[in-house]
Amino acid sequence: MSWRGEVNKYLASAYKNWIISKRNVFTLFELFFWPMISLLSIGLLTRFLNVGPAMVSFLLVGAIALTILQVAQIDVAYVLLFDMWSKSIKNTFIAPVRSYHLVFGALLFGIARGAFVFAILVSVSQYLFGFDFRAGGLLPVLIFLAGVFAVAAVIGIAVCISILTFGQKADVAAWSLSGLILLVSGIYYPVAVLPPALQVLSRVIPLTYFLEYYRSVFIPGPHNLATGAALAAAYLAVGLILFDRAIERARRTGILLRLSE
Amino acid sequence: MAEKSVVARGVCKSYKSFFGAEAKVLNEISLEVEAGEIFGLLGPNGSGKTTLISIFSTLIYPERGSVRVLGLDASQKRDEIRKLINISTAKPNFPWSLSVKENLRHYGMLYGMHGSALSRAVNDLIDTFELGEYADMKFEDLSTGLKQRLSLAKAMLNNPRLLFLDEPTTGLDPDISMKTRILIRRIHEEQGISVVMSTHYMPEAEMLCDRVAFLRKGEIAALDTPQNLKNHLGIGERVVVFYEGSVNLKELEVVPGVMSVAEEPGRAEIVIDRTTENLDRIIKLFSGAKILDISVKEPDLEDVFLELAR
Repeated sequence: MSWRGEVNKYLASAYKNWIISKRNVFTLFELFFWPMISLLSIGLLTRFLNVGPAMVSFLLVGAIALTILQVAQIDVAYVLLFDMWSKSIKNTFIAPVRSYHLVFGALLFGIARGAFVFAILVSVSQYLFGFDFRAGGLLPVLIFLAGVFAVAAVIGIAVCISILTFGQKADVAAWSLSGLILLVSGIYYPVAVLPPALQVLSRVIPLTYFLEYYRSVFIPGPHNLATGAALAAAYLAVGLILFDRAIERARRTGILLRLSE
Repeated sequence: MAEKSVVARGVCKSYKSFFGAEAKVLNEISLEVEAGEIFGLLGPNGSGKTTLISIFSTLIYPERGSVRVLGLDASQKRDEIRKLINISTAKPNFPWSLSVKENLRHYGMLYGMHGSALSRAVNDLIDTFELGEYADMKFEDLSTGLKQRLSLAKAMLNNPRLLFLDEPTTGLDPDISMKTRILIRRIHEEQGISVVMSTHYMPEAEMLCDRVAFLRKGEIAALDTPQNLKNHLGIGERVVVFYEGSVNLKELEVVPGVMSVAEEPGRAEIVIDRTTENLDRIIKLFSGAKILDISVKEPDLEDVFLELAR
């Protein structure tokens, strides 16, 4: 198969997600309403607490990271959820595609949507709260976004695996992963304030490192970007292997047929 | 000699519930599908037709046994097989908000099609399956018949050598069913592809299939051409006579070749093994009565089905 054919296998999921999103009025809620609610509530909290510019940046970075994480992770999960909801999963898995075609195609669209939301949020936060997201140059922004999108891919893969393993209602368990990340990866506070056991947990979550790295632009402090990048790459690789195994298991157990009924 | 489309040996499949209960769906299925033939899988609901088609198409895997598809080992060469086959499922479902054209484009991309070849294939299929008027209509707005046509068009996207059709006319109106059957026949003849189809409509199997396998409780109850099945099972032709007057039907029972006689007032239904030799003798028995109507019905697969389902 030509390289263009191989590229199109990836783009297929992005194409499907794009068409479905543009025809769904609730996409506006995902892209504007909830992100703005999240940003404005944290931004206004900083005013109420009367904190300095560095702390405003700290909190807004957390709010923005969580928002684009949620936007991108749902796009990856949609690659299976849309098929499951429309009971068309057979048609996808009869084609000669692998898990990585589906995940990276959907992630591509998730990155586009996440980047769009990021642009809106940083513009609004600059205008309303004086947050300058480019204070350290463009490279830290790109590294931070890459880290957030990698974590989003891992969560999206976890949702897909749980659906293929446990059936339709299992996605609820996987969604709670983002809740866990909110708690332990230092979205709104440094992980140093966590109890010791949770601090250990925070150190196995790549987002913790990417947040510390990007925040160090605004509040100089230690960070370990390499560990975060290595963890993200490892989780992504393991996630894809487990996703492939979950697909094979669903074929062995026949759950793939039940998801189409 | 062309390689066989499907060779299955000792295929078994069970489904396990979450709590470990096991339901056996297929038991020691062995069959061969010749290149270029239309092979029918017949049987009542729950007999294992969909599961068997899903195994042949590599959608799910057997618990035991071996399957070769187009000469390739289905346990080793799944990706290669998936490039060469396609499927149209019963109750076709596609992403709701994608139009006919967008759905075909999406699945074409999954098969690695691109550029002008993809656009051409999509447009050709829309023409072939007479979907032009509905090309921009969303899937959720299509009628059942149009959904089925889209499903068949999708199944032809990658020019498959082997096509699996799982109950392709279920839920369709009779006229749409007939159009769909003609379309299947046309695809088969024009493109020379092998077809494995499941159905529980006997006329459909009779019209389309070169050979059929009857599944009953996950096992093959019979496998042959429709004509041979009718002959081998000894299913007789049915002579129905409406009459006025009195006839001693007891005499019919001793006529050679008469397999059964059923009587209602003014109506006799006689099953015989050779109409041409015995019809005359039967009619003579009605000489004391006035025959109002007489019909002779050859056995069809419906009769075979009923015989095998006993």
